[in-house]
Amino acid sequence: MEALPGAAGARAWARRHAFSFLSSLGALSRQPIASTMTLIVLAVALTLPTALHVTLDNVRAISASWERLDTLSVFLSVETNEIEARRLGSRLTLWGDITAVDPISPEQGLADVTGQLDLGNVSNELEAALPSNPLPWVLEITPEDGTNVAALVNRLEREAGVSSVMVDLKWLERLDAMLAVLGQLVVLLAFLFAVSVAFIIANTIRMDIQNRREEIEVMALVGATPAFIRRPFLYTGLWYGLLGGTLAWLVVNLGLIALSGPISNLSGSYDADFSLHAPGIEISALLIVGSGLFGILGSWLVVNQHLKKINP
Amino acid sequence: MIRFERVAKRYPGGIQALSDVNFELADGELAFLTGHSGAGKSTLLRLIALLERPSRGQVLFDGRNVGKLARRHIPYLRRRIGVIFQDHRLLSDKKVFDNVALPLLIAGVSYSEIKRRVRAALDKVGLIDKENMYPPMLSGGQQQRVGIARAIIGKPPLLLADEPTGNLDPDMSADLMDYFVQLNEVGVTVLIASHDLDLIRRLGKRVLVLKDGTMVDDLPPRQTLTGDTSG
Repeated sequence: MEALPGAAGARAWARRHAFSFLSSLGALSRQPIASTMTLIVLAVALTLPTALHVTLDNVRAISASWERLDTLSVFLSVETNEIEARRLGSRLTLWGDITAVDPISPEQGLADVTGQLDLGNVSNELEAALPSNPLPWVLEITPEDGTNVAALVNRLEREAGVSSVMVDLKWLERLDAMLAVLGQLVVLLAFLFAVSVAFIIANTIRMDIQNRREEIEVMALVGATPAFIRRPFLYTGLWYGLLGGTLAWLVVNLGLIALSGPISNLSGSYDADFSLHAPGIEISALLIVGSGLFGILGSWLVVNQHLKKINP
Repeated sequence: MIRFERVAKRYPGGIQALSDVNFELADGELAFLTGHSGAGKSTLLRLIALLERPSRGQVLFDGRNVGKLARRHIPYLRRRIGVIFQDHRLLSDKKVFDNVALPLLIAGVSYSEIKRRVRAALDKVGLIDKENMYPPMLSGGQQQRVGIARAIIGKPPLLLADEPTGNLDPDMSADLMDYFVQLNEVGVTVLIASHDLDLIRRLGKRVLVLKDGTMVDDLPPRQTLTGDTSG
Protein backbone atom coordinates (compact mmCIF):
# COMPACT_ATOMS: atom_id res chain seq x y z
CA MET A 1 0.00 0.00 0.00
CA GLU A 2 1.29 3.41 -0.92
CA ALA A 3 0.08 5.68 1.82
CA LEU A 4 0.42 9.43 1.60
CA PRO A 5 3.76 10.46 2.98
CA GLY A 6 4.51 14.02 4.04
CA ALA A 7 5.53 14.53 0.41
CA ALA A 8 8.89 16.13 0.95
CA GLY A 9 11.02 18.13 -1.43
CA ALA A 10 11.15 21.69 -2.63
CA ARG A 11 8.50 21.19 -5.30
CA ALA A 12 5.95 19.77 -2.88
CA TRP A 13 6.74 22.65 -0.55
CA ALA A 14 6.25 25.17 -3.38
CA ARG A 15 2.95 23.55 -4.36
CA ARG A 16 1.63 23.73 -0.82
CA HIS A 17 2.68 27.39 -0.59
CA ALA A 18 1.07 28.25 -3.90
CA PHE A 19 -2.15 26.68 -2.63
CA SER A 20 -2.03 28.74 0.59
CA PHE A 21 -1.17 31.90 -1.30
CA LEU A 22 -4.11 31.55 -3.66
CA SER A 23 -6.61 30.59 -0.99
CA SER A 24 -5.59 33.63 1.11
CA LEU A 25 -6.35 35.94 -1.82
CA GLY A 26 -9.62 34.07 -2.23
CA ALA A 27 -10.51 34.83 1.39
CA LEU A 28 -10.03 38.57 0.79
CA SER A 29 -12.01 38.66 -2.43
CA ARG A 30 -14.85 36.45 -1.17
CA GLN A 31 -16.01 39.20 1.17
CA PRO A 32 -15.10 42.45 -0.57
CA ILE A 33 -17.21 44.69 1.68
CA ALA A 34 -15.96 43.23 4.95
CA SER A 35 -12.36 43.29 3.69
CA THR A 36 -12.66 46.90 2.57
CA MET A 37 -14.12 47.98 5.89
CA THR A 38 -11.29 46.27 7.77
CA LEU A 39 -8.75 47.92 5.49
CA ILE A 40 -10.27 51.36 6.11
CA VAL A 41 -10.17 50.86 9.88
CA LEU A 42 -6.55 49.72 9.61
CA ALA A 43 -5.63 52.67 7.40
CA VAL A 44 -7.17 55.15 9.84
CA ALA A 45 -5.47 53.51 12.82
CA LEU A 46 -2.11 53.62 11.05
CA THR A 47 -2.58 57.12 9.64
CA LEU A 48 -2.88 58.73 13.09
CA PRO A 49 0.61 57.93 14.45
CA THR A 50 2.20 58.36 11.03
CA ALA A 51 0.64 61.79 10.52
CA LEU A 52 1.71 62.83 14.02
CA HIS A 53 5.23 61.64 13.31
CA VAL A 54 5.38 63.58 10.03
CA THR A 55 4.03 66.72 11.70
CA LEU A 56 6.63 66.46 14.43
CA ASP A 57 9.38 65.88 11.88
CA ASN A 58 8.40 69.06 10.08
CA VAL A 59 8.19 71.13 13.27
CA ARG A 60 11.67 69.88 14.20
CA ALA A 61 12.97 70.96 10.80
CA ILE A 62 11.54 74.47 11.29
CA SER A 63 12.89 74.86 14.82
CA ALA A 64 16.33 73.71 13.68
CA SER A 65 16.38 76.44 11.04
CA TRP A 66 15.36 78.97 13.69
CA GLU A 67 18.12 77.97 16.04
CA ARG A 68 20.73 78.61 13.41
CA LEU A 69 19.55 82.22 13.04
CA ASP A 70 19.99 82.93 16.70
CA THR A 71 22.47 85.47 17.93
CA LEU A 72 23.42 86.64 21.38
CA SER A 73 23.35 90.31 22.24
CA VAL A 74 26.15 91.26 24.65
CA PHE A 75 25.40 94.62 26.28
CA LEU A 76 28.53 96.37 27.48
CA SER A 77 28.50 98.76 30.40
CA VAL A 78 27.58 102.36 29.57
CA GLU A 79 31.09 103.64 30.37
CA THR A 80 32.70 101.43 27.72
CA ASN A 81 34.05 103.51 24.84
CA GLU A 82 34.47 102.55 21.20
CA ILE A 83 38.12 101.43 21.47
CA GLU A 84 37.41 99.12 24.41
CA ALA A 85 34.32 97.75 22.70
CA ARG A 86 36.15 96.95 19.45
CA ARG A 87 39.09 95.43 21.34
CA LEU A 88 36.76 93.13 23.26
CA GLY A 89 34.99 92.29 20.02
CA SER A 90 38.15 91.25 18.21
CA ARG A 91 39.25 89.25 21.25
CA LEU A 92 35.94 87.36 21.26
CA THR A 93 36.29 86.42 17.58
CA LEU A 94 39.23 84.26 18.62
CA TRP A 95 36.96 82.06 20.79
CA GLY A 96 36.35 78.70 19.21
CA ASP A 97 32.61 78.65 19.73
CA ILE A 98 31.99 82.09 18.23
CA THR A 99 31.62 82.46 14.49
CA ALA A 100 31.22 86.22 14.16
CA VAL A 101 31.12 89.35 16.29
CA ASP A 102 29.30 92.41 15.05
CA PRO A 103 29.81 95.54 17.18
CA ILE A 104 26.86 97.94 17.18
CA SER A 105 27.50 101.52 18.24
CA PRO A 106 24.99 103.38 20.45
CA GLU A 107 24.17 105.65 17.47
CA GLN A 108 23.46 102.71 15.19
CA GLY A 109 21.44 101.09 17.95
CA LEU A 110 19.33 104.18 18.38
CA ALA A 111 18.83 104.43 14.63
CA ASP A 112 17.79 100.75 14.53
CA VAL A 113 15.37 101.22 17.38
CA THR A 114 13.73 104.32 15.95
CA GLY A 115 13.72 102.74 12.50
CA GLN A 116 12.08 99.59 13.78
CA LEU A 117 9.53 101.56 15.72
CA ASP A 118 8.79 103.43 12.50
CA LEU A 119 9.06 106.76 14.23
CA GLY A 120 10.12 108.49 11.02
CA ASN A 121 11.02 112.12 11.50
CA VAL A 122 10.19 111.84 15.19
CA SER A 123 13.63 110.21 15.57
CA ASN A 124 15.38 113.47 14.88
CA GLU A 125 13.33 115.13 17.55
CA LEU A 126 14.04 112.24 19.89
CA GLU A 127 17.77 112.55 19.34
CA ALA A 128 17.56 116.21 19.91
CA ALA A 129 15.48 115.75 23.04
CA LEU A 130 17.81 113.24 24.68
CA PRO A 131 20.72 114.85 26.51
CA SER A 132 22.99 112.01 25.44
CA ASN A 133 22.52 108.61 23.77
CA PRO A 134 21.37 106.27 26.54
CA LEU A 135 22.33 103.10 24.67
CA PRO A 136 25.57 101.19 25.40
CA TRP A 137 27.81 99.47 22.92
CA VAL A 138 26.41 96.07 21.93
CA LEU A 139 28.27 93.10 20.48
CA GLU A 140 26.11 90.84 18.35
CA ILE A 141 27.56 87.35 18.57
CA THR A 142 26.79 84.44 16.28
CA PRO A 143 27.73 81.22 18.02
CA GLU A 144 29.18 78.21 16.22
CA ASP A 145 26.64 75.53 15.25
CA GLY A 146 26.04 73.08 18.05
CA THR A 147 27.54 75.30 20.73
CA ASN A 148 26.32 74.92 24.29
CA VAL A 149 24.75 78.36 24.42
CA ALA A 150 24.21 78.41 28.16
CA ALA A 151 27.92 77.82 28.86
CA LEU A 152 28.92 80.46 26.34
CA VAL A 153 26.59 82.98 28.01
CA ASN A 154 28.20 82.18 31.33
CA ARG A 155 31.70 82.87 30.04
CA LEU A 156 30.63 86.05 28.30
CA GLU A 157 29.04 87.39 31.45
CA ARG A 158 32.35 86.96 33.32
CA GLU A 159 34.22 89.20 30.80
CA ALA A 160 35.18 92.65 32.07
CA GLY A 161 32.98 95.41 30.74
CA VAL A 162 30.06 93.12 29.98
CA SER A 163 26.89 94.35 31.58
CA SER A 164 24.47 91.67 30.48
CA VAL A 165 23.93 89.02 27.82
CA MET A 166 20.52 88.68 26.21
CA VAL A 167 19.50 85.32 24.95
CA ASP A 168 16.12 84.64 23.57
CA LEU A 169 16.59 80.92 23.52
CA LYS A 170 14.35 80.00 26.42
CA TRP A 171 11.27 79.47 24.28
CA LEU A 172 13.31 77.42 21.80
CA GLU A 173 14.52 75.22 24.63
CA ARG A 174 10.95 74.79 25.74
CA LEU A 175 9.92 73.95 22.19
CA ASP A 176 12.71 71.38 22.01
CA ALA A 177 11.61 69.84 25.28
CA MET A 178 8.03 69.79 24.10
CA LEU A 179 9.06 68.14 20.83
CA ALA A 180 10.99 65.51 22.79
CA VAL A 181 7.85 64.77 24.84
CA LEU A 182 5.74 64.59 21.70
CA GLY A 183 8.39 62.37 20.09
CA GLN A 184 8.04 59.92 22.99
CA LEU A 185 4.29 60.17 22.63
CA VAL A 186 4.53 59.23 18.97
CA VAL A 187 6.56 56.15 19.86
CA LEU A 188 3.99 55.19 22.47
CA LEU A 189 1.08 55.82 20.12
CA ALA A 190 2.78 53.91 17.32
CA PHE A 191 3.11 50.93 19.65
CA LEU A 192 -0.52 51.15 20.79
CA PHE A 193 -1.76 51.42 17.23
CA ALA A 194 0.46 48.55 16.13
CA VAL A 195 -1.16 46.43 18.84
CA SER A 196 -4.58 47.59 17.70
CA VAL A 197 -3.66 46.64 14.12
CA ALA A 198 -2.78 43.14 15.33
CA PHE A 199 -6.11 42.86 17.14
CA ILE A 200 -8.21 44.33 14.34
CA ILE A 201 -6.67 41.79 11.99
CA ALA A 202 -7.01 39.02 14.58
CA ASN A 203 -10.70 39.77 14.90
CA THR A 204 -11.21 39.81 11.14
CA ILE A 205 -9.37 36.51 10.79
CA ARG A 206 -11.42 35.10 13.66
CA MET A 207 -14.60 35.82 11.73
CA ASP A 208 -13.03 34.30 8.64
CA ILE A 209 -12.23 31.18 10.69
CA GLN A 210 -15.83 31.01 11.95
CA ASN A 211 -17.03 31.07 8.36
CA ARG A 212 -14.59 28.37 7.33
CA ARG A 213 -14.77 26.22 10.45
CA GLU A 214 -16.09 23.28 8.45
CA GLU A 215 -13.33 23.56 5.89
CA ILE A 216 -10.65 23.75 8.57
CA GLU A 217 -11.98 20.68 10.36
CA VAL A 218 -12.18 18.69 7.15
CA MET A 219 -8.64 19.70 6.23
CA ALA A 220 -7.36 18.67 9.66
CA LEU A 221 -9.28 15.43 9.32
CA VAL A 222 -7.62 14.44 6.07
CA GLY A 223 -4.18 15.14 7.48
CA ALA A 224 -3.40 18.81 6.96
CA THR A 225 -0.61 19.96 9.25
CA PRO A 226 -1.30 22.95 11.50
CA ALA A 227 1.23 24.89 9.44
CA PHE A 228 -0.74 24.12 6.28
CA ILE A 229 -4.04 25.20 7.85
CA ARG A 230 -2.46 28.26 9.40
CA ARG A 231 -0.65 29.48 6.31
CA PRO A 232 -3.55 30.93 4.26
CA PHE A 233 -4.71 32.83 7.33
CA LEU A 234 -1.21 34.17 7.93
CA TYR A 235 -1.10 35.32 4.33
CA THR A 236 -4.49 36.97 4.78
CA GLY A 237 -3.16 38.76 7.88
CA LEU A 238 -0.11 39.83 5.92
CA TRP A 239 -2.25 41.19 3.08
CA TYR A 240 -4.41 43.13 5.50
CA GLY A 241 -1.33 44.59 7.20
CA LEU A 242 0.48 45.48 3.99
CA LEU A 243 -2.59 46.96 2.32
CA GLY A 244 -3.62 48.85 5.48
CA GLY A 245 -0.09 50.25 5.82
CA THR A 246 0.03 51.25 2.16
CA LEU A 247 -3.36 52.94 2.42
CA ALA A 248 -2.20 54.88 5.50
CA TRP A 249 0.94 55.92 3.63
CA LEU A 250 -1.20 57.15 0.74
CA VAL A 251 -3.52 59.07 3.08
CA VAL A 252 -0.56 60.81 4.77
CA ASN A 253 1.02 61.73 1.45
CA LEU A 254 -2.25 62.96 0.00
CA GLY A 255 -2.72 65.02 3.17
CA LEU A 256 0.72 66.55 2.70
CA ILE A 257 -0.08 67.40 -0.91
CA ALA A 258 -3.34 69.00 0.16
CA LEU A 259 -1.53 71.03 2.82
CA SER A 260 1.46 72.08 0.71
CA GLY A 261 -0.39 75.01 -0.96
CA PRO A 262 -1.57 76.67 2.27
CA ILE A 263 1.80 75.99 3.93
CA SER A 264 3.77 77.69 1.19
CA ASN A 265 1.39 80.68 1.40
CA LEU A 266 1.95 80.78 5.15
CA SER A 267 5.74 80.50 4.93
CA GLY A 268 5.72 83.12 2.18
CA SER A 269 3.97 85.55 4.48
CA TYR A 270 6.77 85.01 7.02
CA ASP A 271 9.43 85.55 4.36
CA ALA A 272 10.58 82.02 5.05
CA ASP A 273 11.30 79.31 2.53
CA PHE A 274 9.69 76.25 4.07
CA SER A 275 8.08 73.24 2.47
CA LEU A 276 6.63 70.07 4.04
CA HIS A 277 8.76 66.95 4.18
CA ALA A 278 7.09 63.73 3.08
CA PRO A 279 7.69 60.72 5.36
CA GLY A 280 11.16 59.30 4.75
CA ILE A 281 11.81 55.94 3.16
CA GLU A 282 12.62 54.37 6.56
CA ILE A 283 9.35 55.49 8.10
CA SER A 284 7.37 54.42 5.03
CA ALA A 285 9.04 51.01 5.06
CA LEU A 286 8.55 50.69 8.82
CA LEU A 287 4.89 51.58 8.45
CA ILE A 288 4.10 49.12 5.68
CA VAL A 289 6.36 46.22 6.64
CA GLY A 290 5.61 46.72 10.34
CA SER A 291 1.87 46.59 9.88
CA GLY A 292 2.31 43.54 7.67
CA LEU A 293 4.23 41.79 10.44
CA PHE A 294 1.65 42.76 13.05
CA GLY A 295 -0.98 41.39 10.69
CA ILE A 296 0.80 38.04 10.69
CA LEU A 297 1.13 38.19 14.47
CA GLY A 298 -2.59 38.89 14.90
CA SER A 299 -3.72 36.06 12.68
CA TRP A 300 -1.17 33.68 14.16
CA LEU A 301 -2.56 34.23 17.66
CA VAL A 302 -6.13 33.53 16.68
CA VAL A 303 -5.48 30.62 14.30
CA ASN A 304 -3.32 28.81 16.84
CA GLN A 305 -5.97 29.16 19.48
CA HIS A 306 -8.43 27.52 17.10
CA LEU A 307 -6.05 24.76 15.97
CA LYS A 308 -5.53 23.56 19.52
CA LYS A 309 -9.18 22.60 19.63
CA ILE A 310 -8.92 20.46 16.48
CA ASN A 311 -5.70 18.68 17.39
CA PRO A 312 -6.23 17.57 20.98
CA MET B 1 -3.16 -2.96 13.15
CA ILE B 2 -5.36 -1.50 15.87
CA ARG B 3 -5.40 -2.57 19.48
CA PHE B 4 -7.44 -1.09 22.35
CA GLU B 5 -6.15 -1.88 25.83
CA ARG B 6 -8.44 -0.99 28.73
CA VAL B 7 -9.47 2.22 26.97
CA ALA B 8 -11.77 4.68 28.72
CA LYS B 9 -12.98 8.03 27.54
CA ARG B 10 -14.69 10.49 29.79
CA TYR B 11 -15.79 13.82 28.32
CA PRO B 12 -15.66 17.03 30.32
CA GLY B 13 -18.88 17.20 32.24
CA GLY B 14 -18.61 13.63 33.46
CA ILE B 15 -20.09 11.77 30.49
CA GLN B 16 -18.46 8.36 30.35
CA ALA B 17 -18.44 7.49 26.63
CA LEU B 18 -16.22 4.40 26.86
CA SER B 19 -15.05 2.35 29.81
CA ASP B 20 -12.55 -0.48 29.71
CA VAL B 21 -12.69 -1.32 26.01
CA ASN B 22 -10.40 -4.10 24.73
CA PHE B 23 -10.19 -5.42 21.19
CA GLU B 24 -7.83 -5.94 18.32
CA LEU B 25 -8.26 -5.46 14.59
CA ALA B 26 -5.71 -7.27 12.45
CA ASP B 27 -4.13 -5.93 9.29
CA GLY B 28 -6.43 -6.57 6.32
CA GLU B 29 -9.47 -7.33 8.46
CA LEU B 30 -13.00 -5.95 8.01
CA ALA B 31 -15.19 -5.53 11.07
CA PHE B 32 -18.46 -3.86 11.96
CA LEU B 33 -18.92 -1.90 15.11
CA THR B 34 -22.48 -1.87 16.29
CA GLY B 35 -24.61 -0.86 19.22
CA HIS B 36 -27.42 1.59 19.85
CA SER B 37 -26.79 5.30 19.47
CA GLY B 38 -24.85 6.65 22.40
CA ALA B 39 -23.09 3.31 22.95
CA GLY B 40 -19.75 4.92 22.10
CA LYS B 41 -19.24 3.89 18.45
CA SER B 42 -18.32 7.38 17.25
CA THR B 43 -16.07 7.97 20.23
CA LEU B 44 -14.21 4.75 19.50
CA LEU B 45 -13.58 5.82 15.91
CA ARG B 46 -12.60 9.31 17.02
CA LEU B 47 -9.97 7.85 19.34
CA ILE B 48 -8.36 5.96 16.46
CA ALA B 49 -8.15 9.05 14.21
CA LEU B 50 -7.00 11.00 17.27
CA LEU B 51 -9.88 13.43 17.13
CA GLU B 52 -10.00 12.70 20.85
CA ARG B 53 -7.42 11.39 23.25
CA PRO B 54 -8.31 8.53 25.60
CA SER B 55 -8.73 9.35 29.28
CA ARG B 56 -7.25 6.00 30.28
CA GLY B 57 -5.74 3.00 28.57
CA GLN B 58 -3.90 2.68 25.27
CA VAL B 59 -4.97 2.92 21.66
CA LEU B 60 -2.28 1.29 19.53
CA PHE B 61 -2.01 1.86 15.80
CA ASP B 62 0.69 -0.27 14.14
CA GLY B 63 2.13 -0.81 17.60
CA ARG B 64 2.36 2.87 18.39
CA ASN B 65 0.45 4.42 21.29
CA VAL B 66 -1.76 6.94 19.53
CA GLY B 67 -2.93 8.56 22.75
CA LYS B 68 0.62 9.68 23.52
CA LEU B 69 1.36 10.91 20.00
CA ALA B 70 2.82 14.41 19.93
CA ARG B 71 0.50 16.98 18.45
CA ARG B 72 2.77 17.63 15.48
CA HIS B 73 2.57 13.96 14.45
CA ILE B 74 -1.24 13.90 14.38
CA PRO B 75 -1.56 14.99 10.71
CA TYR B 76 0.69 12.17 9.55
CA LEU B 77 -1.35 9.63 11.49
CA ARG B 78 -4.53 10.95 9.91
CA ARG B 79 -3.04 10.64 6.42
CA ARG B 80 -2.85 6.90 7.00
CA ILE B 81 -6.52 6.72 7.93
CA GLY B 82 -9.42 7.38 5.58
CA VAL B 83 -12.51 8.51 7.45
CA ILE B 84 -16.07 8.45 6.10
CA PHE B 85 -18.85 10.26 7.93
CA GLN B 86 -22.59 9.89 7.98
CA ASP B 87 -22.95 13.58 7.12
CA HIS B 88 -20.22 13.26 4.44
CA ARG B 89 -18.41 16.41 5.61
CA LEU B 90 -17.82 17.65 2.10
CA LEU B 91 -17.02 21.29 1.38
CA SER B 92 -20.15 22.56 -0.31
CA ASP B 93 -18.45 25.56 -1.93
CA LYS B 94 -15.86 23.39 -3.66
CA LYS B 95 -16.37 21.19 -6.67
CA VAL B 96 -16.49 17.41 -6.34
CA PHE B 97 -13.05 17.26 -7.96
CA ASP B 98 -11.52 19.65 -5.40
CA ASN B 99 -13.19 17.85 -2.50
CA VAL B 100 -11.66 14.56 -3.53
CA ALA B 101 -8.30 16.21 -4.31
CA LEU B 102 -7.98 17.77 -0.84
CA PRO B 103 -5.80 15.06 0.79
CA LEU B 104 -3.42 15.17 -2.19
CA LEU B 105 -3.28 18.97 -2.19
CA ILE B 106 -2.35 18.84 1.48
CA ALA B 107 0.41 16.34 0.79
CA GLY B 108 1.77 18.56 -1.99
CA VAL B 109 1.24 16.11 -4.86
CA SER B 110 1.73 17.56 -8.35
CA TYR B 111 -1.34 18.71 -10.24
CA SER B 112 -1.03 16.18 -13.07
CA GLU B 113 -0.79 13.38 -10.51
CA ILE B 114 -3.76 14.79 -8.59
CA LYS B 115 -5.82 14.91 -11.78
CA ARG B 116 -4.99 11.33 -12.64
CA ARG B 117 -5.71 9.95 -9.18
CA VAL B 118 -8.91 11.96 -8.60
CA ARG B 119 -10.28 10.75 -11.94
CA ALA B 120 -9.39 7.19 -11.02
CA ALA B 121 -11.04 7.48 -7.60
CA LEU B 122 -14.19 9.09 -9.02
CA ASP B 123 -14.32 6.42 -11.67
CA LYS B 124 -14.13 3.75 -8.98
CA VAL B 125 -17.15 5.19 -7.12
CA GLY B 126 -19.02 5.78 -10.39
CA LEU B 127 -19.02 9.57 -10.31
CA ILE B 128 -16.58 10.37 -13.11
CA ASP B 129 -19.14 12.61 -14.85
CA LYS B 130 -19.86 14.64 -11.68
CA GLU B 131 -16.40 16.11 -11.08
CA ASN B 132 -17.44 19.68 -11.89
CA MET B 133 -20.59 19.66 -9.78
CA TYR B 134 -20.91 20.97 -6.26
CA PRO B 135 -21.85 18.51 -3.47
CA PRO B 136 -25.31 20.03 -2.77
CA MET B 137 -26.27 19.25 -6.39
CA LEU B 138 -25.79 15.52 -5.73
CA SER B 139 -28.02 12.96 -4.02
CA GLY B 140 -27.19 11.67 -0.54
CA GLY B 141 -25.78 8.44 -1.92
CA GLN B 142 -23.65 10.28 -4.46
CA GLN B 143 -22.33 12.62 -1.78
CA GLN B 144 -21.43 9.64 0.35
CA ARG B 145 -19.49 8.19 -2.57
CA VAL B 146 -17.63 11.48 -3.00
CA GLY B 147 -16.71 11.15 0.68
CA ILE B 148 -15.47 7.62 0.03
CA ALA B 149 -13.43 8.77 -2.97
CA ARG B 150 -11.83 11.40 -0.74
CA ALA B 151 -11.14 8.81 1.96
CA ILE B 152 -9.42 6.37 -0.39
CA ILE B 153 -7.57 8.79 -2.66
CA GLY B 154 -4.53 8.80 -0.39
CA LYS B 155 -4.55 4.98 -0.38
CA PRO B 156 -4.64 4.76 3.40
CA PRO B 157 -4.09 1.32 4.96
CA LEU B 158 -7.05 1.87 7.31
CA LEU B 159 -10.56 3.00 6.50
CA LEU B 160 -12.99 4.10 9.22
CA ALA B 161 -16.65 4.67 8.41
CA ASP B 162 -19.09 6.23 10.87
CA GLU B 163 -22.66 5.23 9.94
CA PRO B 164 -21.92 5.43 6.21
CA THR B 165 -25.36 4.13 5.26
CA GLY B 166 -27.26 6.27 7.75
CA ASN B 167 -28.94 8.45 5.14
CA LEU B 168 -29.22 5.93 2.32
CA ASP B 169 -32.01 3.69 1.07
CA PRO B 170 -31.51 -0.11 1.46
CA ASP B 171 -30.32 -0.71 -2.13
CA MET B 172 -27.71 2.00 -1.93
CA SER B 173 -26.64 0.83 1.50
CA ALA B 174 -26.06 -2.69 0.16
CA ASP B 175 -24.04 -1.33 -2.80
CA LEU B 176 -21.96 0.76 -0.45
CA MET B 177 -21.23 -2.15 1.89
CA ASP B 178 -20.25 -4.29 -1.08
CA TYR B 179 -17.88 -1.58 -2.07
CA PHE B 180 -16.25 -1.65 1.36
CA VAL B 181 -15.89 -5.40 1.04
CA GLN B 182 -14.16 -4.92 -2.33
CA LEU B 183 -11.75 -2.43 -0.80
CA ASN B 184 -11.05 -4.86 1.99
CA GLU B 185 -10.33 -7.58 -0.55
CA VAL B 186 -7.49 -5.50 -2.03
CA GLY B 187 -5.91 -5.22 1.41
CA VAL B 188 -7.45 -2.20 3.15
CA THR B 189 -8.31 -2.69 6.81
CA VAL B 190 -11.89 -1.50 7.34
CA LEU B 191 -13.84 -0.68 10.49
CA ILE B 192 -17.47 0.33 9.97
CA ALA B 193 -19.70 1.69 12.70
CA SER B 194 -23.29 0.90 11.80
CA HIS B 195 -26.59 -0.12 13.31
CA ASP B 196 -27.91 -1.54 10.03
CA LEU B 197 -28.19 -5.03 11.51
CA ASP B 198 -29.80 -6.68 8.48
CA LEU B 199 -26.97 -5.61 6.25
CA ILE B 200 -24.33 -6.63 8.77
CA ARG B 201 -25.95 -10.03 9.20
CA ARG B 202 -26.06 -10.56 5.44
CA LEU B 203 -22.37 -9.83 4.98
CA GLY B 204 -21.32 -12.21 7.74
CA LYS B 205 -18.21 -10.32 8.78
CA ARG B 206 -16.76 -9.87 12.24
CA VAL B 207 -19.01 -7.78 14.50
CA LEU B 208 -18.00 -5.85 17.59
CA VAL B 209 -20.87 -4.88 19.86
CA LEU B 210 -20.71 -1.87 22.13
CA LYS B 211 -23.19 -1.25 24.90
CA ASP B 212 -23.07 1.73 27.24
CA GLY B 213 -19.41 2.25 26.53
CA THR B 214 -18.23 -1.31 27.02
CA MET B 215 -17.51 -4.05 24.48
CA VAL B 216 -20.16 -6.66 25.25
CA ASP B 217 -19.67 -8.96 22.27
CA ASP B 218 -17.12 -9.82 19.58
CA LEU B 219 -18.64 -12.14 16.98
CA PRO B 220 -16.22 -13.78 14.56
CA PRO B 221 -16.91 -13.81 10.79
CA ARG B 222 -19.42 -16.20 9.18
CA GLN B 223 -21.42 -16.52 12.34
CA THR B 224 -25.00 -15.42 12.26
CA LEU B 225 -25.73 -12.47 14.46
CA THR B 226 -28.49 -13.37 16.86
CA GLY B 227 -30.19 -11.84 19.81
CA ASP B 228 -30.96 -8.26 20.60
CA THR B 229 -27.97 -5.98 20.34
CA SER B 230 -29.87 -2.76 20.41
CA GLY B 231 -30.74 -2.69 24.08
